[in-house]
Amino acid sequence: MMEVMASNPIIELYKRDVDRTLIRENLKLSVTERLEQLMAMQRFAAEMQRAGREARAKARATPDAK
Amino acid sequence: MTDLPALLATLKQAGVEFIVVGGVAATVHGSARLTLDLDVVYRRTPENRRRVFEAFQSLSPYPRGAPPGLPFQWDERSIAQGLNFTLTTGLGAVDLLGEITGGGDYDALLPHTVEMEPFGVKCRCLTLSKLIEVKAAAGRPKDFEILAELETIKEERGDSDECPPKASVKPRSSLG
Repeated sequence: MMEVMASNPIIELYKRDVDRTLIRENLKLSVTERLEQLMAMQRFAAEMQRAGREARAKARATPDAK
Repeated sequence: MTDLPALLATLKQAGVEFIVVGGVAATVHGSARLTLDLDVVYRRTPENRRRVFEAFQSLSPYPRGAPPGLPFQWDERSIAQGLNFTLTTGLGAVDLLGEITGGGDYDALLPHTVEMEPFGVKCRCLTLSKLIEVKAAAGRPKDFEILAELETIKEERGDSDECPPKASVKPRSSLG
């Protein structure tokens, strides 16, 4: 299956857009560091979601505000 | 946020036989993608099902995305009657999988794992090659980008499947 996918032209097309610089940086890290980085991303995503909810609630509360 | 150190420690301390798969396994191998849950394949023996039950019983496990108030009971019987559980817990989102498409169950996957020790917790993770294989077997368009990244990681490593730099992983054959 892996060989099939490796030669899959769709996957090859997607590979053009993969950011190899991020992968190279990750490969310099230990497994623990990679997972710590993932949790930092999770925290950031959660904070952005919270901020988005807050902004939407504020916009609803003051519909005339620009 | 999913508390990965605490979840891995919880599984380990309860003696659960499990393999890390999915997005966290991809991160272990160098993926830069965000994943929000921990996917593990657990062994479906009665003893291990009991350990899974004990590991999560104090963490208020509940089906993720389900409306509140369902008559969901986290007990050994529920685990025996089910197979795959997508849960929210006190430590974050966890998928407990009895088997995965293209990979099978714990025993089928075990030869395709590496040992790792993140946060000081020894556990097993699917190899990069097997991870690619199961993602390909799933055949979902949403996995195309992930597959492309995993294939690129393999190219960038340019090494054996099992030993990413600085990862301190050991092929299964080296274990006692």
